[in-house]
Amino acid sequence: MSMRDIRPTVRRRISRMSAYVAFLAIVVVMIFTANWGIIRQNFFNLEVAQRMFPDVVRAAGKTITYTAFSFGFGVVLAVVLALMKMSKGPFKWFAVVFIEFFRGIPALLTLMIIGFAVPMAFASLKKVPGVYMGLVGLVLVTGAYTAEIIRAGIVAVPKGQTEAARSLGMSHMRTMLTVVLPQAFRIVVPPLTNEIVMLLKDTSLLFVLGSTKLSRELTTFGRDGLTSHANASPLIVVAVFYLIITIPLTYVVGRMEKKMAVKQ
Amino acid sequence: MSEQRDLKLPPRDRDTPDPTAPPIQIIGLHKHFGDLHVLKGIDLTVTKGEVVCIVGPSGSGKSTLLRSVNLLEWPTGGKVFIEGIDVLDPDVNLDRIRTRIGMVFQSFNLFPHMTVLRNVTIAQEKVLKRSHSEARKVAHGMLERVGLDDKIHAHPSQLSGGQQQRVAIARSLSMNPDMMLFDEPTSALDPELVGEVLEVMRSLAADGMTMMVVTHEMGFAREVGSRVIFMDEGLIVEEGLPDEVLGNPRHPRTQLFLSKVL
Repeated sequence: MSMRDIRPTVRRRISRMSAYVAFLAIVVVMIFTANWGIIRQNFFNLEVAQRMFPDVVRAAGKTITYTAFSFGFGVVLAVVLALMKMSKGPFKWFAVVFIEFFRGIPALLTLMIIGFAVPMAFASLKKVPGVYMGLVGLVLVTGAYTAEIIRAGIVAVPKGQTEAARSLGMSHMRTMLTVVLPQAFRIVVPPLTNEIVMLLKDTSLLFVLGSTKLSRELTTFGRDGLTSHANASPLIVVAVFYLIITIPLTYVVGRMEKKMAVKQ
Repeated sequence: MSEQRDLKLPPRDRDTPDPTAPPIQIIGLHKHFGDLHVLKGIDLTVTKGEVVCIVGPSGSGKSTLLRSVNLLEWPTGGKVFIEGIDVLDPDVNLDRIRTRIGMVFQSFNLFPHMTVLRNVTIAQEKVLKRSHSEARKVAHGMLERVGLDDKIHAHPSQLSGGQQQRVAIARSLSMNPDMMLFDEPTSALDPELVGEVLEVMRSLAADGMTMMVVTHEMGFAREVGSRVIFMDEGLIVEEGLPDEVLGNPRHPRTQLFLSKVL
């Protein structure tokens, strides 16, 4: 009796079951081959984890502060870039080149260029702490990525809105600020949330620029913990802190979105 | 000496309306959209207090003509004068002229992210620089006039089409315009909601507002219009008193159109 002779429903059940069995087998093999004593010692070491407190909370605060700063200024830059890209003339080309450049190279490379290369050219910047230079880099990267999102939002606002505003005597700028942009932002809340979560994780790239005990964010803090305790538990603690921030963030924005949809 | 003076800034009166000039004067107006020749030389003068209704088949250029008055469409030839001001002159302040020309759209175009009250006050505050309390007072008056003073805190999406269009009229009126343009104001409405909007327009006409109305409402044109213009293929084919144009059309194209819509 070959597979062909079996009824399709039964055949489907057999193939699903064999997939579960294969998956389970892999997990079981991993459980039995792993050295649990060493794993607990190195990854879930409560003693080491306890020593992360309370400094890890400060590091989490830094991560949030850096995210908020980069996002705030990044979005302002993005609006400017989007308006430039939608204009005619030389500004359009500046925006196109800017966006393509910073979207086309790795964010890590941008941070290294801003943090290490730019101070070589401008001596006065050598005294500025690396983290601050890195934040400038994050603003540029966020601006480039978000500009396209904002532009899509502006384009999605119906033309009649602009026409109504202009026919009331509003200038081009005034129309943008009071009529078009507020509606554009509502349209792009979902992709912007995505962007803020990505940015939150990208603040971890700041670790390449080095930082003081007071200015380090979560990943740098975890890495420092890893080296000073020769133990991976700090990384787990830090990972949990990232999740504590990102999951509620996604949830809150989802709620906000629903509320705004009702209001409109 | 006189040549030297021409190089200076334009004299102030280039921007100030002439009360004796007709509110709207259009001379030899042409509009091309690429290869498409939409307006082929329109001459039209609208005098103070006149209600000019423009009818015609779709694609005849009537909306484009209306939108050329406040330059939502930029003409490719000809002249447009608003209260004696040449609006195509790049040195005039177009935004200021637009405050004197109210415009009502087929799709209402209320600002969906603002309440009804804010829709009516925003341009007063940001453009006319009226104080918040003054703008509110004007808005209340205008919304009362269109019968919607009980809806001031609603959002546009909570209103019916007829109510939205009446708010849009109140929004335009709050700028105290000298004239009003209506671009098929009832075409997007359910049939039972057309009457309430026409009622508001009728009362405006009775108050002596200068109006240009692109419409398919022949009854309204006949009753309220002081003049009816029939357009076809970018030209004014026939114009005159409503009873003449709609009741006893001379041109065969007008007759054909009216036989289809009436």
